Amino acid sequence: MKNIFILLIAFVFFACENIIYPELEPSLEQYVVDAWLNDLPGSQKIFLSKSNNYFMSELPKLLSGAEVYLTDEDGNRYDFEESAEGYVWGDSLSTSFLQVGTSYQLNVSIDGIRFSGTSEMNPVPPVDSITFKYQEEDFSTAEDYYLAEVVATDLAGVGNTYWIKAWKNGLYLNKASEINIAYDAGFSVGGNIDGQVFIQPIQELINPFDTDETGEALIEPPYSIGDTIYVEIHSISESAFYFLNEVKIQTVRSGGFGALFAPPFSNVSTNLMNEDVNSAIHPVGFFNVSAISSLEQVLTSEIAQQAQEEVANKD
Amino acid sequence: MPHRYKQAGNRTKTINKATFFTTMRLLFLIIFFNASWLSAQQMVTLNGEISDAANGESLVGAVVYIKQVEGGAVTNVYGFYSLSVPPGTYDVEFRYVGFNTQNMILKLTENMRLDIELIEIEKELNTVVVSANREDANISDVEMSTAKLDIKSILKVPTFAGEVDIIKSIQLLPGVSTVGEGASGFNVRGGGVGQNLVLLDEAPVYQTSHLFGFFSVFNPDAVKDVKLYKGGIPPQYGGRLASILDIRMKEGNNKSYEFNGGVGTVFSRFSVEGPIKKEKASFILAGRRSYVDVLAKPFTDVFDNGAALYFYDLTAKANWDIDDRNRVYLSGYFGRDVFKFDERQGFDWGNQTGTIRWNHLFSDKLFSNFTGVFSDYDYGFSFGDDASDTFDWSSNIKTYDFKPEFNYFLNAQNEIVFGAEFLFYEFEPANAIGVSDGFISDISLDKKKSLETSVYFGNNQKINDRLSTQYGLRISSFRYLGGGNSYSYGTAIPGERKPWIGTQSHDNMETIAHYEVLEPRASMRYTLNPTSSIKGSYNRMNQFIHLISNTVAATPIDVWQPSTNNIKPQTGNQIAVGYFKNLQGNLFETSAEVYYKWNKNQVDYIDGADILINEFLEGDLLSGDGRAYGLELYLRKTRGRFNGWISYTLGKSELKIDGVNYGTDMAERKGQWYPNRFDQRHNLKITNNYQINDRITLSGVFSYLSGTPTTFPNDRFSQQGYVIPLLKNERGNVRIPDYHRLDVSVTWDNVYFGKKGRKNTDYFVFSVYNVYNRRNPFAIIFSQGSDRQPIHEPVETMASQISIIGSFVPAFSYNFKF
Repeated sequence: MKNIFILLIAFVFFACENIIYPELEPSLEQYVVDAWLNDLPGSQKIFLSKSNNYFMSELPKLLSGAEVYLTDEDGNRYDFEESAEGYVWGDSLSTSFLQVGTSYQLNVSIDGIRFSGTSEMNPVPPVDSITFKYQEEDFSTAEDYYLAEVVATDLAGVGNTYWIKAWKNGLYLNKASEINIAYDAGFSVGGNIDGQVFIQPIQELINPFDTDETGEALIEPPYSIGDTIYVEIHSISESAFYFLNEVKIQTVRSGGFGALFAPPFSNVSTNLMNEDVNSAIHPVGFFNVSAISSLEQVLTSEIAQQAQEEVANKD
Repeated sequence: MPHRYKQAGNRTKTINKATFFTTMRLLFLIIFFNASWLSAQQMVTLNGEISDAANGESLVGAVVYIKQVEGGAVTNVYGFYSLSVPPGTYDVEFRYVGFNTQNMILKLTENMRLDIELIEIEKELNTVVVSANREDANISDVEMSTAKLDIKSILKVPTFAGEVDIIKSIQLLPGVSTVGEGASGFNVRGGGVGQNLVLLDEAPVYQTSHLFGFFSVFNPDAVKDVKLYKGGIPPQYGGRLASILDIRMKEGNNKSYEFNGGVGTVFSRFSVEGPIKKEKASFILAGRRSYVDVLAKPFTDVFDNGAALYFYDLTAKANWDIDDRNRVYLSGYFGRDVFKFDERQGFDWGNQTGTIRWNHLFSDKLFSNFTGVFSDYDYGFSFGDDASDTFDWSSNIKTYDFKPEFNYFLNAQNEIVFGAEFLFYEFEPANAIGVSDGFISDISLDKKKSLETSVYFGNNQKINDRLSTQYGLRISSFRYLGGGNSYSYGTAIPGERKPWIGTQSHDNMETIAHYEVLEPRASMRYTLNPTSSIKGSYNRMNQFIHLISNTVAATPIDVWQPSTNNIKPQTGNQIAVGYFKNLQGNLFETSAEVYYKWNKNQVDYIDGADILINEFLEGDLLSGDGRAYGLELYLRKTRGRFNGWISYTLGKSELKIDGVNYGTDMAERKGQWYPNRFDQRHNLKITNNYQINDRITLSGVFSYLSGTPTTFPNDRFSQQGYVIPLLKNERGNVRIPDYHRLDVSVTWDNVYFGKKGRKNTDYFVFSVYNVYNRRNPFAIIFSQGSDRQPIHEPVETMASQISIIGSFVPAFSYNFKF
């Protein structure tokens, strides 16, 4: 939301950006673990790679020859087999072995180094509904549009954390600024909103605001009649919540006037540890297990009509 | 000397109270029974007020000089002076820079009240810019590390958009800098923006910026006198580590009505002042408003749906001279910045202050002033489409202050100042209400309260013709008060979030944490010869409230946080030494000062700190040591067609905090020194005025500042498709490119009023900011851009250099007075 006013102010001022190519120090080549597992049917995938120079725009390369497995509290072991896509457990027909309320340990052994991390799978509330609001054409768009809102209620008890993901017409909303996380029903631990409906900004952060390519308006309409929206709520661990929050801080760097509000660069956290505490090698990345609830909704003309009437009734 | 903080606790509390009173008693004894005073003979006192003959404004820092005693007095901030001499006949001079000196022969046989009005020198060629009380004041004053700006004389310094600006003008002085355009506030000698105490008629002003630092909130039409203390801070001031900026408002013309105004590119101003009762009571009312929105309205529909973009401020003051012994003042300020996207959604901030003052003369020698102050800074955000879906968030800090202050003009050698201050703060870190589909959730944080009380005592003592001193002590006590909750935190690895372990609720006004501190202050001047002197000073300052700001520059949404059971007050020490030399009959003033500062309990933040609406903010704060040192050089040509000054600062400002910048020490995470966000090695400012003829003056300001430190990432890595930067544990390892800029302006006097009458004057200013069109870097950001990323293709990462002002900015203003 901060971005909206920054955007507005940026128009008023003369702020400008030049792309530069500063020389960076040699790559740290640190081990990277990307392990976000869930309880949906199908295979589970973990990716191992190394960090490389910041300006190297290439897909991460899989490190091969690692031993990767999960263990649970009862001593069960789940092995992940190396494939071209990463280290994989199961196939498209598998049912996830992950259970709510169970704690799992991820173990990775590569080049003689052993990493581990733990995560507990927390419960997730259902997505109650996805509703739409009708907006008349304004200065930002060239036509009338609809804003989607996801309605769900935080589970009772302080300290539930969630990641809400959205897809528009099958396309995952993957901007860093669209990372939508909730601590209980609010933004942070100090928010004190437990067991309630997610607060307004969280409900609305499932709308894509993409620059209008035609140049006729500032943005493309977030949703129009006929669009499909699909929303997933992932339960995440509290440390994963902080991790994602940090990812957002470090990656959402609005240029122009927004630079005034940018906190300094720093490293994001990790829940992975080298078992040799004295080693200089420190893996980065995260291990998290999520329970997922989801809902799909098509913006039909009936729903659109209703949304329009609601606005008309208010006026 | 060890720091004297003590945490709350019954034992320490009683000890401290005893220490406190003993120390005070001792001080009074030392000063009142100073042997030299006891031997004093029969004395007579000459006192009164010195003011401007044209409008009755009292003159601050005017000099009363008696030839026979080779000494005299200086008027205080209310224009009052008093001095005691043996009975006799004296040659007395009353003088003030820019005014005709008045000479008198006075036969003093008994106490005498003498109010003097000085007449301003007609339209001089020598535009004095940074003015001093007397021509060689820089040599002869005990004060060092201070700068006084006379509002009349900064008119010809071009600043942004052709407007006179106090905060921008003080940045032309040595030791004062800013991290770039769009940054609110200013930095003094390596200190943070939140370490400056800005006072407007003694009321604290927490946000000095309109429009994100492009303009300051002070209307120059209503300002009389500005004084910045960078060091050698006298005991009447306290509460911030780096500096005190003391801004005094005009009282208003008490002889005739006067109208001042200006039409500028961004805003217009208008002020009216005049007598309520001639020479007894007067007022001033001054306002400004920006008008981008008004001008743009016919051409765009952006503002039709309730959107707004403007700022305004209103300054008012009245005073009443009841009799020779009593005078009261009432002043107020109200300013606001508003950005709205539509009727419901937007962002705004503003300061409000009110001051009531009573000057009372207990005797010819004892001057007193009682001040009551209210100040409120607040900001708010609103989002949402309609009443059933909104998010409203506001935050404020309110201050109530009562200050009795006494000046005792003991004799020609000693001027004693003593007084007290009772400062009550009320913080509202977040008043946040969200409504989702009609369901209301209140995520507000508790209000916080605290009380800061101080007593102080100081003496300005002239030991002999060559040596003068100023010394004193300020004793402060700070109580973090209940009404809300206090929190306990466990220990964490340095640099990580401290785990919350418990919450305790407290009764209203119950003391949760208590700190007591002693602040010794001293400065001295030794005159080497009539044109040169050396000065030295030491001061200790404490700061009980902290500006929580984790961005490159301070912004209007930063929150103030009191010291608590978890956050200790900041302590700062500074020593400074300077050499002052004037050349060619005070035509050139030069000075060189070095300073060293060492601070404790400086605030920094854990990586990924959550500083907005966070009940457990204290767990995200880190604390450590700070140090800053530097050299300041200053050369000024005071008179002539061509005048101006050059200031240069070589400085360094660093922090050392465990958990930050620990390099490879993964086990203990002991911090190494790292540069502050506002550490700038070189700071050069050249300010020149050239008077072409009676009507046209050319001015130029060149600024050069070293780049601020920043941290570049080394690597990138992916998580779930997001590309994340990876850094070494080194903070501030790179500098952004240096900042430099040239501004020029032309002032054309008497455009319309011409020779018509002296009282009506006008002038036109045309200015160009950033003449050679440099895109000065504000920051360098590394990101994957804000566009949607392709899937199954590598994400492009890049670095871009941000300039807040990317071109030259021409502007004009027409200003008048009648």
